[in-house]
Amino acid sequence: MAELTLPILFAHRVKELGEGVALREKKKGLWRRISWDEYDTHVRNFSLGLKSFGLRKGDRVSILGDNCPEWLYADLATQAAGGISVGVYPTNSYVQVKYILDHSQSRFVIVKDQEQADKILLIKDQLPFLEKMVVIDMKGLRKYDDPIITSFREVEDIGKSIHEKSPSLFQGMIEETKPDDVAIIVYTSGTTGPPKGAMLSHHNITSVLDSFFKVIPISRLDSLVSVLPLCHVAERLFSLFIPMKSGCTINFAESIDTLQADMTEISPTIFLTVPRILEKIHSAITIKMQDAHPVKRWAYDQFLPLGQRVAERRLSKQDVSLFLRLAHFFAYLLVFRPLRNRLGLLQVRECVSGAAPLSKDIMKFFHSIGLMVKEAYGSTECTGVFSMPVGNDIEIGTTGKPIPGWEYKIASDGEILIKGPAVFAGYFRDEEATKSAKRDGWLYTGDIGEFDYQGNLKITDRKKEILITASGKNIAPSEIENRLKFSPFIKEAIVIGDRRPYLAALIQIDLDNVADWAQREGIPFTTFKSLSKDPEVYKLIQGEVEKANKEMSRIESIKKFVLLEKELDRDDDELTATMKVRREMIEKKYGDLIERLYK
Amino acid sequence: MPKLEVKNLNINFGGIRALNGVSFVVEGNQLFGLIGPNGAGKTTILNIINGVYYPSSGNIFLDDKDIVGLKPYQIANIGVGRTFQNIELFKNITVIDNLMLGRHRFIKAGILSGSFYLGKCLKEEMVNRDRIEEIIEFLEIEVYRKKIVRMLPYGIQKRVELGRALSMDPKILLLDEPCSGMNTEETEDMARFILDIKEEMGISIMMIEHNMEVVMDIADRICVINFGTKIAEGNPKEIQSNPKVIRAYLGED
Repeated sequence: MAELTLPILFAHRVKELGEGVALREKKKGLWRRISWDEYDTHVRNFSLGLKSFGLRKGDRVSILGDNCPEWLYADLATQAAGGISVGVYPTNSYVQVKYILDHSQSRFVIVKDQEQADKILLIKDQLPFLEKMVVIDMKGLRKYDDPIITSFREVEDIGKSIHEKSPSLFQGMIEETKPDDVAIIVYTSGTTGPPKGAMLSHHNITSVLDSFFKVIPISRLDSLVSVLPLCHVAERLFSLFIPMKSGCTINFAESIDTLQADMTEISPTIFLTVPRILEKIHSAITIKMQDAHPVKRWAYDQFLPLGQRVAERRLSKQDVSLFLRLAHFFAYLLVFRPLRNRLGLLQVRECVSGAAPLSKDIMKFFHSIGLMVKEAYGSTECTGVFSMPVGNDIEIGTTGKPIPGWEYKIASDGEILIKGPAVFAGYFRDEEATKSAKRDGWLYTGDIGEFDYQGNLKITDRKKEILITASGKNIAPSEIENRLKFSPFIKEAIVIGDRRPYLAALIQIDLDNVADWAQREGIPFTTFKSLSKDPEVYKLIQGEVEKANKEMSRIESIKKFVLLEKELDRDDDELTATMKVRREMIEKKYGDLIERLYK
Repeated sequence: MPKLEVKNLNINFGGIRALNGVSFVVEGNQLFGLIGPNGAGKTTILNIINGVYYPSSGNIFLDDKDIVGLKPYQIANIGVGRTFQNIELFKNITVIDNLMLGRHRFIKAGILSGSFYLGKCLKEEMVNRDRIEEIIEFLEIEVYRKKIVRMLPYGIQKRVELGRALSMDPKILLLDEPCSGMNTEETEDMARFILDIKEEMGISIMMIEHNMEVVMDIADRICVINFGTKIAEGNPKEIQSNPKVIRAYLGED
């Protein structure tokens, strides 16, 4: 098994499943199937095409664009040709794209469409290493005559003619890939400082897969919808790595707008998500229920607490009485089943949330409607996943037990240290950062956490983000922020209080939901700004903050808060590509506002 | 390449001479902008081209064939598509049904086979639906596919109307103020779609538009009409510096 690489695993699956469905893509309103054989043909042709352009072993190839089958073809093709693929967030600005292409010294870049191609054309003169841009969707680009542009089709055609001449070439290329070769570089989103490129080897990937399947066995009957950005290691794990071992089916929605409807049609069995999406679903349900028919609303109000009771009993492994079970069955038939069907989550058997801490309340809510959300902990540097609950052994507030294959310990300052075959190979062109993250084979995660008596890992917060109040108490802001964000009216909350006498918060209201509320209440407003400035809205949020305060100790409660008058934006460097708050930046930018909270 | 030639067009409404000897040529695969103050006669020109009005005198040649005197449906059948200043969609049916109506000229099945959805009719439906799905993808309106038109935002309705005109696979497209009443973002989207139609589908476009930024940005050639008379024609740069045009828009000193 030790000799495995991702392209070799892929070849095994193609041989085993051949005509079986590997991918589905919605096009022209219909789901089109792509078999493993077709998948193989695309990867092979593209790989040979890249090779003919002069791709050498270890060369970097960047991929920039929304999720689509071609993204996966390009990724596998690059690896098969011995190259290293680098994913870039499609939402990145051209400045950020330039940084990653420049730092990774990419010779080739594959872009999805005109929008992304325009970014590259703008910066190509500043990228001495870049030779070719391959465009997947040529719409709107046919009139561009820049010699750097080639279409995805053309590259495949070149590869096809090469394959016809020497049919064993591709097989030979695959066999040349070695487990210790770097397969991909994943650039971290970078909440602090510029992104760093974590190198992951084939061996990293195959070892994490082995461990993962011991916790969640996935079969070829499983299917999932590829939603989160593929350049993130978690989505890459689910949409690319896992199918290579399990043969499950990956689906691509028609567009972001149609995602909800497409989810319902596919009804995936595995759902990888992030807290932000779960928060959004929760507040959408809460708000929509207010507009629902009174009977429906009544049923929902009655049955949700029932679901909660059953979920709590099940989580604490108590017996559920026959009466409760019967009542719950009706609740399921009348409310939870249609609700989950609507969300496209009816068939989900494994729902994993990662990338950021999830609030306990959100988690309880989803358990109440029968969706057993589990939180996983991992990072790019440990190839995606370190700990995750097994089966229904879920302890809310923890990320379960470490998956097999990891060694781990907690450092004296509480930092989680891990060791194992899936610890990354190092940061690309950054010796210093590699040395500080990886010492004696131990990965310093930068996260503070502890194990409870059952061995479940509980993450406190990022080491850098722990606040120490003036009275010397350590406080983890993310938990408090999550409690605040549980309110459908609060979209973002940033807790302040480092070396301060008490905690305060910057709060960004949820525009849709607060606007909806204002309309109901007859409060006139025009923009986000006017809504944030309205005293009634302030009162509304005050109520929400007080609600959250009740559940926290006195020292952890928010004494003062202020509403931000603009939405936090990626383009203003306030959020990362994964929508994480860049605390440092915000504290600097809103310094005056913060000072006023302590006067 | 389809070419539209308008020669010495005149039209009188009662005693009013609405158009006075207007001539211009829309070359193949050209984006031709038609501008002018309100009431200059721009829409009248479109109405004459697609046969709603009959000119008092003058000729219109589409690929050297005189089309004056043909009925609007005949003109549509030879490949002249159009959108309207005020959206003229069928409001109570879905986007797909509206677009399918645009395919009318390609559908040959009669009432009988249509009502029983028989072999040939079914095949025809599939071929045409396929083309419509291409247009839906092109205009990025997948999410509205099955929505009733009346429920859609204004900007999207405009896009659907453009889609209906496209679904008849026109040689030339007449657009009457495609960006009116839109916000900046919608306007930018629309401008991009219009450019893409020209470049991807090779369709000639004649466009009336009041948003000067858009016209100057995307048109290849512009013709300016004032009080029914052509006062200037040229590329956007020439038009912007033409003293007659400036006078027509800003008034005399």
